[in-house]
Amino acid sequence: MRNQPTNVTLSSGFVADRGVKHHNGGGKPFQAQKQEPHPGTSRQWQTRVNPHSLPDPDVNEQSSSKMMFRKKGGWKAGPEGTSQEIPKYITASTFAQARAAEISAMLKAVTQKSSNSLVFQTLPRHMRRRAMSHNVKRLPRRLQEIAQKEAEKAVHQKKEHSKNKCHKARRCHMNRTLEFNRRQKKNIWLETHIWHAKRFHMVKKWGYCLGERPTVKSHRACYRAMTNRCLLQDLSYYCCLELKGKEEEILKALSGMCSIDTGLTFAAVHCLSGKRQGSLVLYRANKYPREMLGPVTFIWKSQRTPGHTSESRQLWIWLHPTLKQAILEEIKAVCQCVEPIKSVACITDPLLTPSQGKSQTELPDEKIGKKRKRKDDEESAKPIKRIIGDGTRDPSLPYSWISPVTGIIISDLTMEMNRFRLIGPLSHSILTEAIKAASVHTVGEDTEETPHHWWIETCKNPDSVSLHYRQEAVFELLGGITSPAQIPAGTILGLTVGDPRINLPPKKSKALPNPEKCQDNEKVRQLLLEGVPVECTHSFIWNQDICKSVTENKISDQDLNRMRSELLVPGSQLILGPHESKIPILLIQQPGKVTGEDRLGWGSGWDVLLPKGWGMAFWIPFIYRGARVGGLKESAVHYQYKRSPSVPGDFPDCPAGMLFAEEQANNLLEKYKRRPPAKRPNYVKLGTLAPFFCPWEQLTQDWELRGQAHEEPSVASSPNGKESDLRSEMPCALMPKKTPQPSDEVGTSLDHPRKAEEVMDTGCQEPVGPESITDQEASENHVAATGSQLCVLRSRKLLKQLSAWCGPSSEDSRAAWRAPGRAQQGLTREACLSILGHFPRALVWVSLSLLSKGSPEPHTMICIPAKEDFLQLRKDWHYCGPQESKHSDPFKSKILKQKEKKKREKRQKLGHTSSDGLAGEEPMAGQEALTLGLWSGRLPRVTLHCSRTLLGFVTQGDFSMAVGCGEALGFVSLTGLLDMLSSQPGAQRGLVLLRPPASLQYRFARIAIEV
Amino acid sequence: MAENRELRGTVEAELDPVEYTLRKRLPNRLPRRPNDIYVNMKTDFKAQLARCQKLLDGGARGQNACSEIYIHGLGLAINRAINIALQLQAGSFGSLQVAANTSTVELADELEPETDAREPLTRIRNNSAIHIRVFRVTPK
Repeated sequence: MRNQPTNVTLSSGFVADRGVKHHNGGGKPFQAQKQEPHPGTSRQWQTRVNPHSLPDPDVNEQSSSKMMFRKKGGWKAGPEGTSQEIPKYITASTFAQARAAEISAMLKAVTQKSSNSLVFQTLPRHMRRRAMSHNVKRLPRRLQEIAQKEAEKAVHQKKEHSKNKCHKARRCHMNRTLEFNRRQKKNIWLETHIWHAKRFHMVKKWGYCLGERPTVKSHRACYRAMTNRCLLQDLSYYCCLELKGKEEEILKALSGMCSIDTGLTFAAVHCLSGKRQGSLVLYRANKYPREMLGPVTFIWKSQRTPGHTSESRQLWIWLHPTLKQAILEEIKAVCQCVEPIKSVACITDPLLTPSQGKSQTELPDEKIGKKRKRKDDEESAKPIKRIIGDGTRDPSLPYSWISPVTGIIISDLTMEMNRFRLIGPLSHSILTEAIKAASVHTVGEDTEETPHHWWIETCKNPDSVSLHYRQEAVFELLGGITSPAQIPAGTILGLTVGDPRINLPPKKSKALPNPEKCQDNEKVRQLLLEGVPVECTHSFIWNQDICKSVTENKISDQDLNRMRSELLVPGSQLILGPHESKIPILLIQQPGKVTGEDRLGWGSGWDVLLPKGWGMAFWIPFIYRGARVGGLKESAVHYQYKRSPSVPGDFPDCPAGMLFAEEQANNLLEKYKRRPPAKRPNYVKLGTLAPFFCPWEQLTQDWELRGQAHEEPSVASSPNGKESDLRSEMPCALMPKKTPQPSDEVGTSLDHPRKAEEVMDTGCQEPVGPESITDQEASENHVAATGSQLCVLRSRKLLKQLSAWCGPSSEDSRAAWRAPGRAQQGLTREACLSILGHFPRALVWVSLSLLSKGSPEPHTMICIPAKEDFLQLRKDWHYCGPQESKHSDPFKSKILKQKEKKKREKRQKLGHTSSDGLAGEEPMAGQEALTLGLWSGRLPRVTLHCSRTLLGFVTQGDFSMAVGCGEALGFVSLTGLLDMLSSQPGAQRGLVLLRPPASLQYRFARIAIEV
Repeated sequence: MAENRELRGTVEAELDPVEYTLRKRLPNRLPRRPNDIYVNMKTDFKAQLARCQKLLDGGARGQNACSEIYIHGLGLAINRAINIALQLQAGSFGSLQVAANTSTVELADELEPETDAREPLTRIRNNSAIHIRVFRVTPK
């Protein structure tokens, strides 16, 4: 009964007719409410109410009207009901006319419904039928017409198909490929993209579409895979730079970019021979320890004839896409590679010029793999463009440069290769089961029509064949080794393998280590001790020509499946003989956790380098052998449990790291602002100055000032005076520092002047002593030379020393035993000062493990415990930690005021001219940034803002499933760390407090530096 | 958890620590059967004991119970392995017997050079290990 007239207006004739005599009754139009189930009830209500509101003398008549209404019922009684008096006479014609108008209005109302619901939804339940919305004829006949109209309307309302083609046409192969190519114009897809897109949450990052995390709930499963089985990752988005040239020239050029202080360089013997992969941190040329560019791994191509120095060498540098632009520019600069190579003529390197690439696209018999590959060729330079914002760069720009002076050729091989990473102990079994070494051509075989000429040529050379057999033998040995961690770190093994799709198991299976293979024999022992022999690292993947031919001559999946279906015995092994593709690959062992004491070798595995186009052909066989796939989140977990810094988030001193921090801060702020103020933490009250980013610059500045301040009381007086009224606790926390080393005055005063100069230059915005300001100008030159900007301490020697100091002193003897030469140096003021002299503003990478409860998160603050915290902890082992007292929020009143002002202005604006309003908006614009719950404006001194002195920040932190307690990784100020360590008594040395940004609770954690 | 890393030798005595960093590699191990237990010094003693007991007892009705388990201990953990085996035996009222085997395990230490001019070295050092078979005997 919902299709009722909503609005029945009496026609004017009737009203006029009645209005003559009774203006109070029928004169006004009667409105029947929609909700009223019966028209009669409303009338009843009106009849009952009206007597009170309208004093009417004629009670009898009224009652009679009531009577009449009851007698007749229904809507016909309506007009009479509204009026209090019964007309003395009725003109039949006008009356009928009015009724007719009413009826027609009602009929009209019945035919068109008013509610939002569809017709069949208005039917009572017992009249509803299945598929009513679909089939109009299932409705009662009276409603069919309306439903028909509705259905038509719905069709019109439906969104127009974005494609003008039908579904079938859209699924047509060519169109799909075109569509895919269009969709990856901005962000390039990896070869495994479609596989990932079906199973992963995809993100657009660094110019690629990457899988972030699986859609299935698999955090723990992925951890287990890393620990006990095998986790697979597609790292093809990593960039590869190739340097070709004379060995000495390359080494000479690159020597400025790395320092032996931070570890081995490009010239390390075992890396240079091509036997191992090396890893290092690159700096801007001759700027060490400042202006870091980023961490890279590198491999040299092994020499065919060792000792031949004139031979041209090849060096691959693998790096994260965010670092590529900066590093490429710097390498180009140091190698003096300025001349881009446009044509192929001048070099043997078969670089695909854009024109060639385009001519390929016109070929009608394109395969999907090719198409996408061609895409890659053209856009290989794109990721760089996207990341750094070099938007002017044309895809057709060269990605190869030659130096006229040194003869070094640099080429950008991004997306030329696939890189898959297998993590976990079962990666050996998976590799050996999924990959089979290529079969060698015998001379007798007819090899005329096969496209794999390079392999046939190779097989003619007995040396190459024997090398291939040796590689195969080494590879087979891997199956008998239960963990990749047992093999020397960074071992490289080259191999030529057959098509892995051929021996794909019919069902997904789990590769398990074969105990029979695990016999302890001499060969395995030799492999474990010495690694893979140098010759076996040779692979044809270094040769661009061969890679290209391998990519082009790939048998498509379709053809392969067709051939499989044509087999005489279904399900039997497909034998292609000489037509089977041979793929050169390179296996690189990735050492897992090598530093520290516990969980050695965790997360070790193998990286597989493949020529492009073969990604999916290897991906599926790996998965069919029981590898679980992880995304970016899993690789973050991997880094975290390995306790190694992840790229680019944990490199705050490199440009990519800064950019990353900025983006992250913006994202978090956006997310924070989306919540209503009452439902989000008020970080001002929690005393968290920077919940979304880590103010490293300010932290190191503050610590530099503090270090300065309490070494020299005269200078310290003014800043400390200011501090002490803010925090009365401060001096007492600093006092004990003096007691252990009372005789240090000489050393400090000697050291002071130089330090003071360094400090003052950059700390000029901070409250500083009056006399030091005068020094400032004089010191500027000096500071420019030392360049006291933020840097991260990466000198292995210093880190080892710090690491020895960090442990509790009871363990000192053990540490001393471990490293007799280094740990002998005690933690004295002199030693600290000598370090600080070199690194006035340094950060140190530390790992923290919580003593009891708590799971830290990124941006957690690392603080120095006060004395009473230690007292409490000694009293009660289960003492959780102190609490931060609530801070006041000075911004809240400001925000309220602003709001009021805004309101007032609005009111004013309404009243006055617009010019007034504009004048009022001027201060508003400046304060626009005020957000309730966030510190606005310049941060105060970050170290002293809370009751415990701030030491640093956590960058990665979570509950660690590997250890079973909360674990965090982060940076602390070097000055602060030394300060803290020298003040702490032996047994509690290295204890710090952690406080997440949204909590007031501090928790104890132990600090460790792993080298 | 299977490895015991409390391995100490006198390797470093002859080497200049300025030139090399010692990195211990994992001991070579065979694929683990379900009834192999590698004892370490990190996990709580009681937990390891309970784990062995559980393997021997099986489920609620004794299903999946192993008739024998092997407890492996390496280096410092030999003591603990023996301790666990004896505790199991003492708590079984004579239904369990132990049989011990000793062996020598070769461990590889990698010496990572600190300077570019040096090759990484690998040294082999030996450590003693114990393999205790704890098995059920039919009570007399």
